[in-house]
Amino acid sequence: MKAVLHKLRAMPVTFKVPLMVVVLMVTVSAIFSNQVLTRLSATQERHLEELTGAYLDGLSASIVPHVLREDIWEVFDQLDRTRQAYVGLSAVHAIVAGPDGTVLAASEPHLFPSQTTVPEGLTARFSARADLVLDEDKGRAFIRRALSYQDLPIGWIYGEVDIRDLLAERSEVLAALVLTNIVLTLILAGAGYLVVRHMIRPLDTLAEHLDRARGGRMEPIPESRIGRRQSEFGRLFRRYNALVQAVNQREELAARLADEERMASLGKLASGMAHEINNPLGGMFNAIDTLEHHGDVPTVRRSSLDLLKRGLLGIRDVVRAALVTYKSGASKQPLQPSELDDLRFLVRPEVVRRQLTLMWSSDLPGALALPAGPVRQSVLNLLLNACAASPLGGRVDFTAGITDETLTIRVSDQGPGMPAEVAALLEGDGRAAPPGEGTGLGAWMVSRLVHELGGKVRVTARAEGGTAVEIAIPVNEEGPIRHVA
Amino acid sequence: MPREGALGRSGVPPGAANPIDRRQVLAGLAGAGALGFLARPTLAGSREIRFGLTPVFLSSDLELLTQLKTYLSGALERPVTLVTRRTYQEITALLLSGQLDAAWICGYPFIQYRDRLSLVAVPVWRGRPLYQSYLIVDRDRPVADIRDLRGDIHAFSDPDSNSGHLVTQAALAALRETPEIFFGKTFFTYSHRNVVRAVASGLAASGSVDGYVWEVMSELEPDLTARTRVVRKSEWLGFPPVACAKAAEHTAIAADIRRALVAMGEDPAGRKVLDLLRLDGFIPGDAGLFDGIAHNYDLVRSLG
Repeated sequence: MKAVLHKLRAMPVTFKVPLMVVVLMVTVSAIFSNQVLTRLSATQERHLEELTGAYLDGLSASIVPHVLREDIWEVFDQLDRTRQAYVGLSAVHAIVAGPDGTVLAASEPHLFPSQTTVPEGLTARFSARADLVLDEDKGRAFIRRALSYQDLPIGWIYGEVDIRDLLAERSEVLAALVLTNIVLTLILAGAGYLVVRHMIRPLDTLAEHLDRARGGRMEPIPESRIGRRQSEFGRLFRRYNALVQAVNQREELAARLADEERMASLGKLASGMAHEINNPLGGMFNAIDTLEHHGDVPTVRRSSLDLLKRGLLGIRDVVRAALVTYKSGASKQPLQPSELDDLRFLVRPEVVRRQLTLMWSSDLPGALALPAGPVRQSVLNLLLNACAASPLGGRVDFTAGITDETLTIRVSDQGPGMPAEVAALLEGDGRAAPPGEGTGLGAWMVSRLVHELGGKVRVTARAEGGTAVEIAIPVNEEGPIRHVA
Repeated sequence: MPREGALGRSGVPPGAANPIDRRQVLAGLAGAGALGFLARPTLAGSREIRFGLTPVFLSSDLELLTQLKTYLSGALERPVTLVTRRTYQEITALLLSGQLDAAWICGYPFIQYRDRLSLVAVPVWRGRPLYQSYLIVDRDRPVADIRDLRGDIHAFSDPDSNSGHLVTQAALAALRETPEIFFGKTFFTYSHRNVVRAVASGLAASGSVDGYVWEVMSELEPDLTARTRVVRKSEWLGFPPVACAKAAEHTAIAADIRRALVAMGEDPAGRKVLDLLRLDGFIPGDAGLFDGIAHNYDLVRSLG
């Protein structure tokens, strides 16, 4: 029973509704049919009562004088003639008996000979009050009428009437009702199925859009599919579209902010790089001057060229790092250990400017199945943040390693500690709305990028002062690399 | 005694003086001559003739009545009223009291009132003015003799019927029995056809019926008679005659009626009547034809 109920509940509404229609119709038609048949039976019985009443009235009026005289022939003649005279009443037998139950004459004298007793089987059918008894199995009605003359009982009329026509009519009506109800039920169930299917079709549309949204960008339901719907579904669709719009706007805003942030850090980097390039330039120009004037002195020439070479190598490193970071299409390449190490060159201007010590420790075995771009971007942000937070002459620690198939990168500084809201942004799931102007944008972006890679960010205040930020990204060959835009 | 027949339905009272219609007289003369009767001038005029019928033959067949009336009024050249009653007794009474000019009655009342009635004509059936009484039972009842019918519910046609009552009474009288004691129960159906119906339906175990009626019915309603079987046929007896009151024996009307009946076979309308009745015709007849009935009557009376 429970299983059945459970199955019923699990049924699609397109079947549940027609099923309910069927159940309802069957119930209604059972009640209705019962009512009709009860009415019909009552009407038929009343009709039969009237007919037999008229028959018996007519018969008794005509036979009473003959019964008084015990005129067998006249009684028989009346019975014989009235039997054919009553249309709509097919009397099978009629018996006229005296008060003592002795047959005077019967319409079928062979069956009920005169001067015999009316069979017990017939008289026993009647009770004191019922003069009309139906025997539906036999298709017969039995009727009785007391004959009296001047208030004295002078005999009885017994009759047997064929009611098979009535019963046939009844079963025909029943058959018609059942057939009609079956047809109606099927039509209504079919209509119910179609209507419900039509009604819930918008739900399918909505489900389809929700499914698609789970895999990526949310798409509004096209206006053509909403149409001029003013129904609940129309409103639902419009609300859904409003939601889609809001979500998409937020996404766009976030993307734009992320871009801006990248550009901001790029600007910062660019100035740092310019400085980095400019620094050796003075020495290199000096070396060129020296070469011009004292180029023929081998020792001078060698040391000048050496100086130039070192200067150019420095410039090359900086340019290469910048190129790797911002080279389009490179961001989806697997992460090479050197690409992390290159970040040192990008932050060096800042490190130099603030006279910091950058302790670099990278222990990666080889290329990782992670997109290089987001990882580098995140780490660069953390490094720049750490540099900015550190006091002049402070120290920034960078460690990277693989433990338990997880890339763990830790950046710590000796700053005054990270504001709680920034730490919360970092440790959040990256789905928080991007912060407004000012602080935290970098942190938000890191959190977002790390979460997109399926990783986590942890912020700890160090006992000796300063803050340590640790990001842990699972490294998996089948990993989330392909989902990362 | 019923009096409703005293005035004819045509509204002409009996004996109303009507002018003599010469053509009618001439026609009557011619007809009489042709039949070989002595033409006796009559002054009866065109007074309506009242002719009584007992249910001695077939039950009141409307077509028969119409045809008979047509023939008689044509042959007699005056209006004819046919008077029918349920019982023989009523017709006999009307006849005896002079309210009918003639009536087709049974041989039994004719014998009963032989001193007050005169013979007008006797029908001829199968070549003779004779018929029989039949004792009938259910087709499947294995009886062979009247003695086997003891205790039966027995159907008679009419108390004043020869074939439908007297003959059986006489047969029982010969056995020193009376119907009341011999039979378990008797009843009258007042029609020979009804006797056949009563026996065929099983209402009566046996019945006394006019043999002529049974034979004609077996032709017209074979389904009904086929359900019955004749156990006993009586001796040949005088066919139910047309009679008139003794007082009218020699009147012109009686003579006219006789002539009309005897000449019935020569007229198309009369032929039709005879065909319906399955009769050959009428003859003037002789009272001696009914000696057999008189004998039965005496036998029954001697026992009663």
